[in-house]
Amino acid sequence: MSVRLEGDRVRLDGPCRVEDAEPLLMLLRADPRRAVDLTGAGPLHAAIVQVLLALRPPITGQPGDPFLRTWLIPLLTLA
Amino acid sequence: MDELLEQFLIEGRELTQQASDDLLALERDPSDAARIDSVFRAVHTLKGSVGLFHFAAMGAVLHVAEDLLGQVRNGHFVADRPVIDALLDCISCSETWIEAIAAAGSLPQGADEDSRRLQSALKATMARDVAVAHAPATTEDPSWLPPFLDRAADAVTVTRAANHALVALRYTPSSDCFFLGDDPMALARAIPGLVAFGLSARDAWDAPTLDPYACNLIIEALSTAPVDDIRAVFRFVADQVVVIEVAPGNVAATSIEQPQGSGEIATRTLRVEAGRIDALVDIVGELIVAKNALAHLAAQVAEKDATLGRALDASQADIARLVGDMHRDVMRVRMVPLAQTFRRFPRLVREIAGKLGKTVNFETVGDDVEADKGIVDGLFEPLLHVLRNAVDHGIEDAATRLAQRKPASGTISLEARRDNGQIVVTVTDDGAGIDPARLRAIAKTRGLMSNAALAALDDTAALDLIFAPGFTTAAAITDISGRGVGMDAVRSKVVALGGRVTIASTLGSGSTIRLSLPQAATVSTVMTVRVGTDRFGIPMETIAETARVATDRIIPIRSGEAFVLRDATIPLVSLASLLNVAGAPRATDVKLLIVASGDQRIGIEVDGFAERIDVLLRPMTGLLSGMTGVLGTALLGDGRVMMILDLPELLG
Repeated sequence: MSVRLEGDRVRLDGPCRVEDAEPLLMLLRADPRRAVDLTGAGPLHAAIVQVLLALRPPITGQPGDPFLRTWLIPLLTLA
Repeated sequence: MDELLEQFLIEGRELTQQASDDLLALERDPSDAARIDSVFRAVHTLKGSVGLFHFAAMGAVLHVAEDLLGQVRNGHFVADRPVIDALLDCISCSETWIEAIAAAGSLPQGADEDSRRLQSALKATMARDVAVAHAPATTEDPSWLPPFLDRAADAVTVTRAANHALVALRYTPSSDCFFLGDDPMALARAIPGLVAFGLSARDAWDAPTLDPYACNLIIEALSTAPVDDIRAVFRFVADQVVVIEVAPGNVAATSIEQPQGSGEIATRTLRVEAGRIDALVDIVGELIVAKNALAHLAAQVAEKDATLGRALDASQADIARLVGDMHRDVMRVRMVPLAQTFRRFPRLVREIAGKLGKTVNFETVGDDVEADKGIVDGLFEPLLHVLRNAVDHGIEDAATRLAQRKPASGTISLEARRDNGQIVVTVTDDGAGIDPARLRAIAKTRGLMSNAALAALDDTAALDLIFAPGFTTAAAITDISGRGVGMDAVRSKVVALGGRVTIASTLGSGSTIRLSLPQAATVSTVMTVRVGTDRFGIPMETIAETARVATDRIIPIRSGEAFVLRDATIPLVSLASLLNVAGAPRATDVKLLIVASGDQRIGIEVDGFAERIDVLLRPMTGLLSGMTGVLGTALLGDGRVMMILDLPELLG
């Protein structure tokens, strides 16, 4: 399971696939204040990226994945 | 045949046709971006489907063709004549291969060799074009590029300072790409030499309605890697990506904007194999026969029980109407536009003209006219032959044309129109025309007709000699026409389709070949008549009225007979003598069909009238197709076959 709710945070762990997009979307819609923790996240499927771009939850954590850290985090945390 | 392969053959034919249409359009307008896109997609898709089978030689050629087209698409090369020629050769060969695969399930012998030859021809045009590739860019920037370069200004400055070439790309994944198993983000990860990266939405993000399974992303990136390395990453979604080399100094670049939403037009169509429709047509035909049998039964019942008979009659009428509707609709399914055949000709005419060193403007008009699929398909061969002749024998060489104050290139037009339930297809050229005297001379040397008969022919009839079997006018047998089949083959093909072909020609200014054909096989209402022990059908539309005349009122006139009907004297002919069969002896009255022949009416004597029935007319085929006076045959309710007569032809 790559998408997990921990308290008020949604944690993404390891590679997240297209089938993780819907659970993520449900969790974020249920409470728009929930943050997403990417610390343990691996490569994110475009469907996941799209949910994060559309719902713009607060992003926390510095992932180890270089592409995610260098290119995606700045776009996802852009004001 | 394997279903996958079957699908491949259908698609393959469509894709090669599309590609060749596009290439011919590009020949006229090399900058037509939509065409460039379309031919690229066609070749790309074809290559993809070839990859599913073991047709390596074909795949290799298409791969190189796709490369070349990709370069054209990105504005590196211009689609000039050599490029179009090389690509058309490749498409035409693919077409041949597809037909070979359809026939034998594999590529023909020598395919490897052809493949290598075509590949090197394609590569040669690319090598030649290197100079063009580095020519200064003139095309406009796509609108998205400057804002993206602005956003990525830091990266641009840094790489410029390091003197790196920059490549920009914009990837708009199709919205259903997740279902196809694509992950656009994985492709983005794979972009080498990434220096800037951007994400945006195709349609503005809307959190409450977001569909997590529809891709709405647009990915933009800048890279310092070579263009080809970047293209390699996106090779499977090449139609969704625009790659641009950002020119140094400013943001001028070369590219062609990708049309929005291209290739995603959903049409509500169902592809059905023609054979299944044919089976349906046959069933409807049998249904018509069964319905006729019911009418017969109703008549028998009525004799025993009038009330029951009337009820059965009413029910039979309902069924008759429904069967008629059904037949009309099924036949409509078989109706296809002539374009299916016409669109194959521009390339073929171009090829033929090319081999003969002539230039020909070829135009088609009315390719949206519809006809039965059998007719549309059947027209290909005779029309190709007529067009070949027009290019080969009709259009003169440029020098001769100029000497006669004609434009150097000839014009051939292929036109179709509807005319009284028929379709008329004409091929007109502005070439040399045909000399009837020359045709007479040739017919004479070939011994086709006696001298006296030839002398008696007027010019129109002399022109018609061109359709005589064994008549070939080419002085020299060329590779193009004159392969031993002449215009007689054209006539017999057209006649087999239930049509006619005629020619008109003016010496010095060109010829017109006119084909008139039925639009479809139809249900006709016929009246059945008895002659002796035989029954024949006569289409109702040829019968003006029926009449009975007392035998003693038949007036002998010389060798013939006549009778008076409403103060007009009408000549009388017996159907038995027209058909050369034995009729029954005359009773106290004579039964007559009155038919109009020209402006005259003629009484046709028959031995008896029987019922009117609806029949599915089947044209005569094979050996019987040449039979005069017979329109075709029909199957009767009791299983017998009845001949349907063409009275005007019998009388004429």
